[in-house]
Amino acid sequence: MNETAGKTYLPVAAHGRPARLWELIRRHFWGYLFVAPWVILYTVFGLYPLLLSFYLTFFTYSFVQPENFIFVGLGNWIGGLIDPLFWKSLFNIFYNQSIFIVLKNGLGLLAALLLFKTVRFGKFFRTIYFMPVVVSIVVLMTIGDYIASPNGPLQKMLLSTGILDQAVFWKFNQWLPMPVLAIINTWKWFGMSMVILLAGLYSIDPQLYEAASIDGASGWEQFLNITLPQLRPQLFFLFVVDVINGLQMMTEVFTIGFDVYGGVYNQAITPVLYLYAQAFDRSNMGYASALGLLLALIIALLTVAQFKFFPSESR
Amino acid sequence: MLPSKRLTWGSLGIYALLFLGAVFLFYPFFYMLMNSVKPGPEILNSPNSLPRQLTFSGYRGVFEELNMVRLFRNSLILAISITVLNTFLSSLAAYAIAKIPFPGRDKLFGFMLATMMIPGVLFLIPTYVMIYNLGWVGKFHALIIPSAVSVYNIFLVRQFMTGIPDELLEAARLDGANELLVFLRIVLPLCRPALATVAILSFLGSWNDFLGPLLYLNRPETWTVQLGLYQFKTSIPGENLQELWAATTLITVPLVLVYFFLQDQFMRAFANVSLK
Repeated sequence: MNETAGKTYLPVAAHGRPARLWELIRRHFWGYLFVAPWVILYTVFGLYPLLLSFYLTFFTYSFVQPENFIFVGLGNWIGGLIDPLFWKSLFNIFYNQSIFIVLKNGLGLLAALLLFKTVRFGKFFRTIYFMPVVVSIVVLMTIGDYIASPNGPLQKMLLSTGILDQAVFWKFNQWLPMPVLAIINTWKWFGMSMVILLAGLYSIDPQLYEAASIDGASGWEQFLNITLPQLRPQLFFLFVVDVINGLQMMTEVFTIGFDVYGGVYNQAITPVLYLYAQAFDRSNMGYASALGLLLALIIALLTVAQFKFFPSESR
Repeated sequence: MLPSKRLTWGSLGIYALLFLGAVFLFYPFFYMLMNSVKPGPEILNSPNSLPRQLTFSGYRGVFEELNMVRLFRNSLILAISITVLNTFLSSLAAYAIAKIPFPGRDKLFGFMLATMMIPGVLFLIPTYVMIYNLGWVGKFHALIIPSAVSVYNIFLVRQFMTGIPDELLEAARLDGANELLVFLRIVLPLCRPALATVAILSFLGSWNDFLGPLLYLNRPETWTVQLGLYQFKTSIPGENLQELWAATTLITVPLVLVYFFLQDQFMRAFANVSLK
């Protein structure tokens, strides 16, 4: 096919663009055929929804009454910016993620350093630590729900050691749901940081440590001056991905048993959960779309900021 | 900072810490297993102690009341369709991007990579509106078709394929094989490790998916294991505890077993790293 196509002469100018396009497709038939499924599916289920989402932000649109399709201009955007619940949800997710990202990557780094130093059983520990990563959120939140409950083993242990003096109904507390969810999520995800950082540790040139030892640098100094800077690419990757994923958290809140508004005081509401509530509980599709775009803007800004301000020598 | 081969007090301390970590990590799974073999009232009264007597009534109840077989069947239909389609179509596109030059190819690949940066939340509402208007809500293909091919998987396979020498493909092309035959007979068998990675990601993504089934599979006959478990947990809170723990265990154990056997592939798939 390709050989004959190479010899055919180009169509004359009179045929115009369509003929040339057809010729192009004919000549590179297989290449275009093989990428066609992605191009078609992404146009239909990617690009079109994105445009639709942007378009919907200018209207009130509800499933219940599709005939009430009213143009509201920037109403949904402004509404989102002054919506106290949206701000509350943003506060919550930043509160949650600042705890989660520090714990997850801190413990991941600690585990990676410990595993790096072991010669035996390393694979055994690695296997156990990574296990929650592959288990579903619904299962982990079901277990986490019972472990953290006032009757559960965690609180019983804290009570018996005297750290708590009475059982805590954390789900109904203003301040506790976000840290508790951050801890459960740390349990699920720190294995991911551990594996990525461990691979980073293996890639560090051992001669760097040897030279430092000869110069009399202590273990802590070596950690600060060699290990951390050398792990910069991995840490940067982890922080960027954590921010993008973390700000979109919702399934966890939902499956651990909060309603779509994050409880009576909205103590566990997150932006995507609120968006879900607006879309599927109140049927405000236009408003929910605007909230989604606002959140995406915030994520984009934070990602750009990370690229700008992360110490960048070896990124 | 370098690993030492001698067993010292320091390394004993490290093992102690690692062991403590493993206990904390594994305890929740132990808690699940332990409660799945207790009778209901015992779970309620002493959820934290070891079972006084073993019972499998929870497991029996799961099959009688929860229609566990149907939940598993639905999840398997979805996960297998998505895995087969996605692995095939993604590697097909990856082959074109890696090995068949065509005008606009590099621009297309750049565009693909750019789409990976778009946060998923943006697709939630409009995709639902679209699928609702198409009349696909309640049907499996509402989940299967949008997941039939994905950029991340194209990217992973493409990275692997760039390592295949061109001479191998040229020889087959000169023998008169068309690109599809080259792909099926030569490229795919060489890409097995990358295909395993992509298949694991697709299968787990679908098997563990909660939001998709929640949005699109609204009839109980179409529920997946994850959705079934969630509905079961929330429908009558506090009741049916033995069935709840049995169901949680049944959903988790097959997955964890597969993970134990293929752990290197899992870590490569999720973290995109390979460890010794």
